[in-house]
Amino acid sequence: MVMQSIITQLLNGFSVVAILVIAALGLAIIFGVAGVINMAHGELIMVGAYTAAVVGKAGGNTFIAMPVAFIVVGLLGLAIERGIIQWIYDRPLETLLATWGVGIILQTVIKLIFGPELYYVGAPKILRGGFHLIGRLPFPWYRLFLIVVAACLMALVFVVIFKTNLGLKVRAVRRNRAISGCLGIDTARVDMLIFCFGSGLAGVAGAVLAPIKSVSTTMGFPYAVDSYMVLVLGGVGNLWGVVAGSGLIGEAETILSFIFNNVIGRLLVFLFIVVIIRIVPRGIFGYSERQ
Amino acid sequence: MSRITRRSFLKKCGKAARAGALLVGAGAPYVFSRNIVKAAESDTIKVGILHSLSGTIAIIETSLHNAELLAIEEINAKGGVLGKKLQPVVEDPQSMVQVFAEKAKKLLLEDKVVAVLGCYTSASRQSVLPVFEQYNGVLLYPTLYEAQECSKNCFYTGAVPNQQLDDFVPWIINTLGRKKFYLIGANYIYPKETNREVKALLRKHGGQVVAEEYSPLGATEFSTNINKIASSGCDVVFSDLVGDQIVAFYKQFKEFGITAKDIPICTPITTEQEIAAMGPENAVGHYTSFNYFQSVKTPQNQSFVERYKARYGKNAVTNAVMEAAYFETYFLAQAIAKVKSTDPDALIYEGLPGQEFLAPQGKVKIDEKNHHTWLWARIGRANEQGQFDIVWKSDNWIRPQPWVPYLYPDKACDFTDPRVQSRLKKPWSEEKNRSGTINL
Repeated sequence: MVMQSIITQLLNGFSVVAILVIAALGLAIIFGVAGVINMAHGELIMVGAYTAAVVGKAGGNTFIAMPVAFIVVGLLGLAIERGIIQWIYDRPLETLLATWGVGIILQTVIKLIFGPELYYVGAPKILRGGFHLIGRLPFPWYRLFLIVVAACLMALVFVVIFKTNLGLKVRAVRRNRAISGCLGIDTARVDMLIFCFGSGLAGVAGAVLAPIKSVSTTMGFPYAVDSYMVLVLGGVGNLWGVVAGSGLIGEAETILSFIFNNVIGRLLVFLFIVVIIRIVPRGIFGYSERQ
Repeated sequence: MSRITRRSFLKKCGKAARAGALLVGAGAPYVFSRNIVKAAESDTIKVGILHSLSGTIAIIETSLHNAELLAIEEINAKGGVLGKKLQPVVEDPQSMVQVFAEKAKKLLLEDKVVAVLGCYTSASRQSVLPVFEQYNGVLLYPTLYEAQECSKNCFYTGAVPNQQLDDFVPWIINTLGRKKFYLIGANYIYPKETNREVKALLRKHGGQVVAEEYSPLGATEFSTNINKIASSGCDVVFSDLVGDQIVAFYKQFKEFGITAKDIPICTPITTEQEIAAMGPENAVGHYTSFNYFQSVKTPQNQSFVERYKARYGKNAVTNAVMEAAYFETYFLAQAIAKVKSTDPDALIYEGLPGQEFLAPQGKVKIDEKNHHTWLWARIGRANEQGQFDIVWKSDNWIRPQPWVPYLYPDKACDFTDPRVQSRLKKPWSEEKNRSGTINL
């Protein structure tokens, strides 16, 4: 019985890690590559979730909602970048305030359109229920699906960053913006595309998380907090940092919550992050500027 | 004191005209509407409405605001009170506790409202109460809450724990036959106080607490808790989770394959609105204890639901707190009519106590002694349509007990007690304690 609970708990931990990876990836791209402290990240996830709600009302399911959310929120990100961010890239404090403002505007606009009540998004039929691996509780198919989605999104980002021409430029701009510009890379265009791509990923996160969480205009904030914790712990600008940060936070929180309770679990995780940051200020896989 | 001479008066007029010119555009409509309000002042009675229409709690508070406006419209359609129309003065405290207090002060001092219908969370109520006590205003508060409070200036029309739990817990033990309770709640005062009471009732009725857990507000990941619940050997979950946590918890509970037949979730919080948000399939068979459900079959409720839908759209859902917000507006109107005055002390001592109304849930009454409200108790089982089948109803209305005797045998709330009355007779500047609580 105890053994079973522990194994179930580890599996739960994996699904929580997957949720963190999904939520943090978009931010990792925007924050890590474009260098924008995007306070509207939670709201982009929220818009993705509402997109899933609309797709659901129109008869679609999560599989359809994912690409739709990617496009809708990606275009929204494009609009935000072109309309606001592009003018203030070199002023981090202002981007922080501006994106915060964008977040508030998004919340209000969504509330005006959809009303203040919570929205319903169901899981696709074939992903309902679960399979018996071990123990009394079945492991839900949907959580397995989340783990797969997290892995696929990671793979997608890896391919884009390391195997495409755009990715090469992105990495060059990340290393040295001025030199990249001198060498003929259109850095503004790279920034724009990366913001758009990162926003799209946030939209996908909203669409896949909606069926197991609640959908409301204020749902984004906790995800944004978790995502920033993942990045700070894992290290900004390195994709392995996202995995490492999510893995540590997700498993630590589920295990500690199991042993103690949620409140103490959360508290210990925060403490743990503070200690880690004290030892390695740039995070576990922190990227250090080439001297 | 400045004396107004003709010259200084003309000067001031000039300044005012220039200031006015600056205001043209942005300011003009505001000034215009204020003038209309001034003109209408003599033949209306102003009622403050203080609910967040933006921010995190707006989800529920907007519905309270809507219910109160509906009641005011109905009262006005029937001719108003004392021949005057009720005029709602709406303020939006934006879900921020400190703004609640500022707006309350504004409603009392600037708008001079006769009373305020407002607040939802305990935090917001506690932040405005000092304002109402200092300036002797009247607050009507519609939410179910953790009790252990009674202010001279506040009338509580939502349920206190004894009206939701005293029958619910023994019913779970005796009728459902479930004795091993797993308590899970959000980490703040209301769930903790509620669980204190649940534990006392379990001791009294022979139930057992398997575990007691709290989740940080806003946390929506429950896989760990569900694993613990499954391995704990409990046979019922008692939940005081709130807001969007409810939706996530029920969804994930079902996701992990636990049905209401295995382990039912019993709660004093989950309403039809959360069920609509989680999808009825995730709530089927779980139990909620409330005074009011949308499915209550009284003629008053059927007509209330119809009127509410006609006013706010056919998909609008009614719930318990909203119903309290609706009937407390009627309490206020009847109280003003009874004392033929808008004087706060007349309302507090004469008008409101003992006031009765045939509400959607049944006949309700403000207690003569403790400012809380006599309400009905019901237990509902969620069905496939997202409504509740009422499986149990109290034989009579239930007296509110802000201090339940089995936890606080030496305390009570009684505004008719001479000790309390002599204390409240002193002005606020001399005696800041405005509570009706006495030690027995």
